[in-house]
Amino acid sequence: MPGIEFLLAALTPLNIMLALGGVIAGTVIGSLPGLTATMAVAVLVPITFSMEPTSALIMMGAIYTGAIYGGAYAAILLNTPGTPSAIATTFDGFPLARKGQGDLAISIACIASVTGGLVGATFLLLLAPPLAEIALAFGPVEYFWLAIFGLTLISALSEGNLLKGLIGACFGLLLACVGIAEISADVRFVFGSQVLLGGIETVTALIGLYCIPVLIDLVATPDRHLKVDHKPRGFRFLEALALSWKAKFSLLRSSVIGTLVGILPGAGGSIAGLVAYTEARRTSKNSENFGKGEPEGVMATESANNATVGGGFIPTLVLGIPGTPPDAVILGALLIQGIRTGPSLFTEKASIVFTFIYGLYLATFLMLPVGLVIGRYAYQTIITVPKALLVPTVAFMTMIGTYAIRNSISDVIIMILLGVIGWILNRYGFSPSPIVLGLILGRIAEQGFVQAWTIGSATGELGKMFFGRPISLVIIAFILLSLFYPLIRTRFRRSKQEVRHDK
Amino acid sequence: MISNQNDPLQRDTSSIVMACLFILISVVFLWDTTRMLDADSYVFPRAVAIAMIILSLMLIVWHLIKPRRERDESMVHASTIRRVTLVMVMLGGCLAMPWLGFLIPGMLTFFLLMFIAMYDEWSMKRKILYPLVAVAIVVGFYTLFGNVLQVPLPVGTLFE
Repeated sequence: MPGIEFLLAALTPLNIMLALGGVIAGTVIGSLPGLTATMAVAVLVPITFSMEPTSALIMMGAIYTGAIYGGAYAAILLNTPGTPSAIATTFDGFPLARKGQGDLAISIACIASVTGGLVGATFLLLLAPPLAEIALAFGPVEYFWLAIFGLTLISALSEGNLLKGLIGACFGLLLACVGIAEISADVRFVFGSQVLLGGIETVTALIGLYCIPVLIDLVATPDRHLKVDHKPRGFRFLEALALSWKAKFSLLRSSVIGTLVGILPGAGGSIAGLVAYTEARRTSKNSENFGKGEPEGVMATESANNATVGGGFIPTLVLGIPGTPPDAVILGALLIQGIRTGPSLFTEKASIVFTFIYGLYLATFLMLPVGLVIGRYAYQTIITVPKALLVPTVAFMTMIGTYAIRNSISDVIIMILLGVIGWILNRYGFSPSPIVLGLILGRIAEQGFVQAWTIGSATGELGKMFFGRPISLVIIAFILLSLFYPLIRTRFRRSKQEVRHDK
Repeated sequence: MISNQNDPLQRDTSSIVMACLFILISVVFLWDTTRMLDADSYVFPRAVAIAMIILSLMLIVWHLIKPRRERDESMVHASTIRRVTLVMVMLGGCLAMPWLGFLIPGMLTFFLLMFIAMYDEWSMKRKILYPLVAVAIVVGFYTLFGNVLQVPLPVGTLFE
């Protein structure tokens, strides 16, 4: 266990102030649809150039931590993931808000995010070098199977119609293919349009498919956006804490999943959240409530996505390979600071690394009061603002946020059109979540599939390539379990009932 | 979708139409893959498009052999005009941006959406307060993105 001197070095007034400022700035930026954690870190990173390396790292870690959590606000209150990491938060967060439990959902998300952040930081502190080895063991075929594992969540999101969910996922996978092909760089499915050359940006699609339908329905009726309870209920912290304690094992499991997925370069918080959600749903006693406002669903996603912060730093610091996109920005900032990452970093620059890790703990702890206060304010704002101001504000935010992703007006138009398509499809029973899932996982699945297929064809061991690697087999086993678990459980319950009946 | 036990059994025609549309989309994607020479480019989308056709056919067959009680009642009291106008205003605002920049179309979009989403009476207080809030929000976000976050927002060809 690294010494207390690093902890004390992290707790200087300046570092505490920087961590606090970073968490606040990150939370606010992350809560705006269109502004991702990567953008939050990227736009604020120049501030850190003139700082000491340790303070700079602490501030960047705090911004990143805050931004990942901030994404939950829009997901819970507006059904729009503020960052891609919060996609799965919408599944249960928004239904909770619609039931008038938005304040509780935000407090649950805050506690879960803090737990996930602490677990991720602990793994970073104690197990960074051996865990970095895992990242290297993941080849293209493992990424392919991981993406397929994420796609099995469709069965959970299809609201009773698996066929429609699968069609939606295929539609998302096809949308992911639009633009320039990942491997061969072929121009595909643009049909002569220059606008589509850059492909359909994931965050653009997220905002369109989730937020525009909400706006379309909001203007259609005079009803309130969310159910309002006029009695002041405070932060509902103790209630959220009690629920979190009840689901402590699920919370810890999701945090560990988030850390492990965070270690895998390129996987990121969105996949971590989706995988953790799938697992939480599979193992929960309340699995039938998932998607209808189950607090455990919010806990799973939010703990997993914040655990990717610590997890993502493991390959970043040990191998110099960014675990998540914001880590790539932080890695660049570290190089500017003159810090070379690599296995020797933990021994040669131990003071910087361990002070930073304790700084990450500090930022995560600070997220609790900051998150609760900002969350309370966000909730009060959303429920009290009149519709005539809420609709144009959210619409304007989606437009400017989408524009900011790639500085493209075409993206804003694509976002609106996708929103209309999403709204129409939703009316006919095609929910937007499988489409988004296909869109996000499509690129990872295709890249992994094509790379593995090329290597397998070249070596003449195609079957072994896909089905002969130990990690692949473990993921395949999870895929099968995830797909057939509902059937197995139903059969198990039925036979149990029959036994009881016979008795 | 709301089911009612007293409704007669209906064939879900809308789902069948949607499945046909998805088949059409798959065919268009498949047709586009025929001009690709590199297998890396077409293997994955072709497999997905074929899967989408098979699933859509299964959905059609399912709805043909299993009529369901499904009736959508959520549209009954909703205003279609407001819905369409919202989308048109947002699209119009985007299309005007290359010429007028971000600020003016953004402001116009905000004001028009405010009128579309207004269900209460325009009292004197609201007449004064809402436009002020609108200007503050638009200018605030414009400044945040344009000046603080350094996003190069369009200036508009008319003002260059």
